[in-house]
Amino acid sequence: MKRILALGTAALAAAAGLTACSTKDTSQGSGPKEITFLTFETPNLTPQYWDAAIKRVTDKYPDIKVRKLVSPDQDRTTYAKQLLTSGQFPDVMIAVSPAGFAEAGNLYAWSQDELSQFQFPTNGAIKGKVYQLPANTQTIPIVYYNKSLFSRAGLSGPPKTYPEMLEDAARLKAKGITPFVVGGGHDALGPTFAGILATDVYARNPNWMRERREGKVKFSDPDFTRAAGKLADLAGKGYIDKRDLSRDYAATQQAFLDGKGAMYAMGNWFAAALDSPQTKPKFEVGQFDWPSDDGTLAVPAFTGGGLLVSATAKNLDAARKFALAFQLDKANLDNSTTSDGLFPAVKGYTPPAGTGAAYKAGYELFHQAVGANAVVPAFGFEAGDDGMLPGVVEKWVSAAADLITGKPVDQVCRSLDTEWDKAS
Amino acid sequence: MGQGLLTGVSTDLATPVTTRPPPRHLPARRRHWPRVRHFAGFAGPGVLVYVCFVLAPILVSGWYSLTNYNPFNPPTRFTGLRNYRLLFTDAEFLTSLRVTTILTMIVVIVPNVLGLGIALLLDRRGWLYNALRSVFFIPVVLSSVVVSVIWTRLLDNDGLVNQSLRAVGVDNPPGWLSDPAYALYSVGAILSWQMLGLCVVVYLAGLQGVPAELHEAAEIDGAGPVRRFRAITWPLLAPALTINTVVLLISGFKVFDHIQVITHGGPGTGTTATLAYTVLQTGFVANRRGYASATAVVMLVIVATVSGIVLKVLQRREVEL
Repeated sequence: MKRILALGTAALAAAAGLTACSTKDTSQGSGPKEITFLTFETPNLTPQYWDAAIKRVTDKYPDIKVRKLVSPDQDRTTYAKQLLTSGQFPDVMIAVSPAGFAEAGNLYAWSQDELSQFQFPTNGAIKGKVYQLPANTQTIPIVYYNKSLFSRAGLSGPPKTYPEMLEDAARLKAKGITPFVVGGGHDALGPTFAGILATDVYARNPNWMRERREGKVKFSDPDFTRAAGKLADLAGKGYIDKRDLSRDYAATQQAFLDGKGAMYAMGNWFAAALDSPQTKPKFEVGQFDWPSDDGTLAVPAFTGGGLLVSATAKNLDAARKFALAFQLDKANLDNSTTSDGLFPAVKGYTPPAGTGAAYKAGYELFHQAVGANAVVPAFGFEAGDDGMLPGVVEKWVSAAADLITGKPVDQVCRSLDTEWDKAS
Repeated sequence: MGQGLLTGVSTDLATPVTTRPPPRHLPARRRHWPRVRHFAGFAGPGVLVYVCFVLAPILVSGWYSLTNYNPFNPPTRFTGLRNYRLLFTDAEFLTSLRVTTILTMIVVIVPNVLGLGIALLLDRRGWLYNALRSVFFIPVVLSSVVVSVIWTRLLDNDGLVNQSLRAVGVDNPPGWLSDPAYALYSVGAILSWQMLGLCVVVYLAGLQGVPAELHEAAEIDGAGPVRRFRAITWPLLAPALTINTVVLLISGFKVFDHIQVITHGGPGTGTTATLAYTVLQTGFVANRRGYASATAVVMLVIVATVSGIVLKVLQRREVEL
């Protein structure tokens, strides 16, 4: 009996020892300061990309040791919530939505001094404080189009207005070509809906989401309902194949690269796949901004997406130092342009001369919009006080799928208001 | 060393617990103490694990379900039965209950029926039948994520199934996972495919316990194959039916991983969102942990009640030889 108890005690002691090892506190002493860093992987952001980017910073700061964590899927925000609940909140995270975490005091608020090198230092602020480095700007969406399929349908160039786009879609469909490539989920379907909402909602009222938070506007109001009706109409006319909703993000991207559809509304990060020798398609790809009814320019964009630091990181100084160094490292910024097609929003930064043609074309479109003062928020991709309440973004994506699968538009919009009320 | 290890546990079947019985003059409680300590040594670790990882979380969930717990929106307040009252008027919960019920019915009926049929066909000797048994069992040992990824690719609009249908002239094949009219049944079919092997194996084990003499006697009495199945095989397979039904019932009620990988609860709002999926979404995406806990508690009560009733009903028809 004593032997059994001794064995049990030894096993528990061993388990406790292992647990202690896994959460080693290096806040004291002279050894390297260990921090955890939550990343996510996509066809563009490979494990090698992250490892090399981390190494560049740790080479500069050998006193920092980084343990990379990888989100099991692209929904890194939900994964971060699970890690927080289980007491394993990462010290540093990238492209995690700060909503909820910030209000609960889980995130470190960057100082003005630390934000001084960013072009838009107040972007994504929550109650006046910035928790996520406003590192890069993304246009969501740009419409990428397959020039070969366009010319097969007798189309010489991209549409300038929404009615023209519908005419083009009709001609493409008549030739047996799927006009729009979509998938299911936030990143595969969201950009298409964001395009419509930019021209029909945000172009008329750039403060729409803030006013939704204040209860001044609703999803069931005419502007939003009309935009939702447009998405439903695209599916109803067969320009969007509702069967494509079963595709995930990677499969959706691949479908466009394989020539399975003519237009692909996607964030500018898709340029990386078009410029990469490994994934570059055999056909030429053009780009245009999602058109409004009368051709008025409204380009949805989001600045943020950078690193966040846990307010309770054991090695908070090391975590802050790492996050800023990672974000501002020139090589990392250059790589983010080529690997993820991002537009770094860092003062004085210019993309390297060797960026690909697709990247340059997207960058040019964005700068034209900036020059024309036509940049509006990207619906469903906003952050902070400009974003939806926690949990509503997922409902918004489901609502987009509902519209495509034929649920009545009014019902879908009303259900979004119900979800908003539940979340608030 | 081996000798030493055996000293605490008797190898004599007549005295299974201890080699040295306690003296008879000791009070009863002290006489039983060595036995209690002995069993505690074996049962203790298991009980500890059960208490820590099953019982305690259930109790904690029960407590959370009576609060408005949201880790991102403190403070947490006691709200009594408010979450439960909201639950039964919540369209999302009621939809997930309906989805779970349909899915569970598919998962209980399809593998049971097909499993029995296949087991009857495979209840023969020979290498081919042995090989086929292994083939049917392979999906059971595969990870549900692997199974989900494979079937997502197969049932995709551009997947092998639709490509095959187009090849044989079906111009407009259905969106198996993207059409709300099909998605739930497609997921049900995938789950049934994965659970089929388990039913086959359990029924085969049951069939091998049916004495051949009973069949021989019935055959001599002029009973045909159908009559023999109804009068002999089917009643004697009752324990196998009980096991399969209860296991499938519980599996059906708690489906989460397949939904997470294949449909994310969609297409659209809640068309394939099971109770387990809704619990996770409500708790970890919408951060409403108190409300999610109430859903989990209701789910536990439903599973326990339905399983208990089904178990009782099925056990009543079990016969002993």
